[in-house]
Formats: sequence, structure tokens, C-alpha cells
Amino acid sequence: MSTRWYPIYQRGNPQLRVFLPNFWMKLVRPQEEQPANVVTFAVSTEMTKHDVKNYLEKIYKLPVVEVRTRIALGETKRDQTYGYVTKKDDVKYAYVTMPKTESFTFPDLFSNRAENQEKEGKSLDESKDGFRKFLDRNKKRPGTPGWYSI
Amino acid sequence: MREIHSSFVRPVLMQFFDEPKHWNENEVKVGRAWRLDELRIKSNKELHQLWFILLKERNMLMTMEHECNDKMEIFPSPERIDKVKISMENLETVVRERNKAYHLLETGETGERPRREVTNAFGLRGYYKSCEHVLPAFMNTKWIKSRQLTHGGRAVHKFLLKYREKLYNAKRKSKNRSRNEVMMILRRNPNFDLSVLRRQFPDVDVDKLVNEDKTRGHYVPKVDV
Repeated sequence: MSTRWYPIYQRGNPQLRVFLPNFWMKLVRPQEEQPANVVTFAVSTEMTKHDVKNYLEKIYKLPVVEVRTRIALGETKRDQTYGYVTKKDDVKYAYVTMPKTESFTFPDLFSNRAENQEKEGKSLDESKDGFRKFLDRNKKRPGTPGWYSI
Repeated sequence: MREIHSSFVRPVLMQFFDEPKHWNENEVKVGRAWRLDELRIKSNKELHQLWFILLKERNMLMTMEHECNDKMEIFPSPERIDKVKISMENLETVVRERNKAYHLLETGETGERPRREVTNAFGLRGYYKSCEHVLPAFMNTKWIKSRQLTHGGRAVHKFLLKYREKLYNAKRKSKNRSRNEVMMILRRNPNFDLSVLRRQFPDVDVDKLVNEDKTRGHYVPKVDV
């Protein structure tokens, strides 16, 4: 896309504008404990600090004070049988500092998972019971289709 | 206690997560991706808005997938990411179409990134995507000295000879393979439809192969029928 291959910087306006940015950002759980006003993002590797700041301020309307980034090396792993080495992709992490007054804790998404699974287990048991009843009813007339009688 | 103070940024950052009612679902029901024809009738402004909606949706899905993988949970309906990707590709295609049409009308060129064919030091041809430079090429003496524009010498000649031989052999072998395949088909099925063979193997001269000795099967040919 023509707005994505960057022309050289020239002073003055109008400056370069990206109309259809294709950068991605993931909000991730911080690996180390962070201050309350710092949020961790995994971002496209080609993004700069300015890009991260502009992205959050313009698209998400999030107040940003400072951005620090690092690139984490992807893990390498040697195959046990054939010995070749595979590597995962490098990831850029952005630590975004919001104003002092703000704070954000990463939500716990799977707190109700166990309950839900219990419910599903119950419905599975019910359908199992239903099938057993159906089999019992048709013991003396094998091969009868399910719609034959109530 | 933190939750009380974070009234402003929390809803902003919660855009990176799915709706809470979907957190514990095993399946999230969604529609299909945007099609080209649907996007073509939208205005530029609408497309621009839709792009950012899709971008936010993709960020949200990627965040959820990451967290699910971290916590060893199943990410519900992973095909949502593909649908967003397809939509974004289609949208970009439509924007590119319009861009091209506008540029062709105004300037007579497509407005795509220009590229030209270049030969590298090994004598192999490839494409170079042009980009803007601070200095024009003829003024950049350092670059002129550093680059190797020509190719030649005994080693390169030898390499090219062998490289072309390799390409030629691959071509020759594939030709022979398809020729043999046709002959075997004709041997096993004497009444095979020749037009199908002609269509399937356009490089093979089927009519010539019919009279080959190899195409005759191991049976006594019927003479008077």
C-alpha cells in the first residue's frame, strides 16, 4: 500500500500520514510485577516508540506518558530425533506508562470456567440418561427408529 | 481498591478483551467476513472507519488468544481471526483498486511501488523494489564504489552453466515423466479417450505415441472387428 512504504523524512508539513495502519498490539499479562500505571503490550516488531504512542493515543484514546520497548529473542529448540534447530519469532514488548493517577490490573478471564464446565458435564449426563432410557424402552423391539414412538 | 480509581482507563483498555459474557464460552457465534462486492459500494470514509473497527477486533482476538494459550485454555472460535484477516485483505484490495484508478486517471501510472529487474553478482535476475533516497544515484560515490553491478568471470560462467543444466534437466525429466505416464495409461487402457489425454498433457504428442511399440498392451490385438 502506497501509504506504508515510508518516504524519506523532510522538514515541514504536511508530514507523512498512514491511512490504513496494519500494526497489531496485544495486551499481555506482565511477566514481572509492574507499577499500577504501567501496561505491557506485545506489538509488531517494526513499531517504534512513537508508533506505539500514536497508536494508543489516536486509535484507543489512551493517555500515554512514556513508552519503553524491548525485543525478546524467540526461543530456539533442537529437534530430538533429527537435530535441526527451530526458532520462534522475536516479539517486541512495549511497556506503556499512563499518568500517575491511572491504574490497571489484568483481569482474570477464566474464574468461572470450572462452573461452566460443571454445567456442561450435567447436560452431557442428562443426554446420556435420555439415551439409556431410549435403549431400555426399545429392548423388545430392536431396530425401531427414534421417531417411531414418544 | 485499585478498581475504584481506574475508572477512566479501564473501559479503554477493556477494548482489548472480549465481552465478559464470552469469556467462559466454548463457542462464540459470529457472522461471515466482509466480501469484495459489499466493500466496493462503500464510501472511502466508511472503509476508513471499518478498517479501524477491524484493526481493534483483530487486536482483541489476538489478546484473547494469547491469554488463552498462556492459561492452557481453549480459545473459543479461533476462525474469527481468519474472518477478520479476510475482511482486511478484501478492504485493502478495494482501496488499492480505487488508488490505481485515481492514479491512472490523473498521472497515467498505477501509483504502485515501482520495481525493476536487476542482475546480481551471480548473474541471476531478480526484482528490486525502488525507494526514495536522500542523494541521487550518480552523486552517491560511496554507494557506486561499494556495489557490484557487473557479473562475469570464469567462476560465474561455470556456475551459470551448471545452474542452467540443472534447470534443463528438471524440464527434460518432467517431460519424459509425462510422456511415460501417457504411454502407460494407453497400455493399460487401450480404449482410453484421447481428447482427455490431450487436454491433461498438452506438452505430449498423444497421436504419435498411439503407434509406439510401448503403448501396445500384452494381449493379442483384435484384427477383424
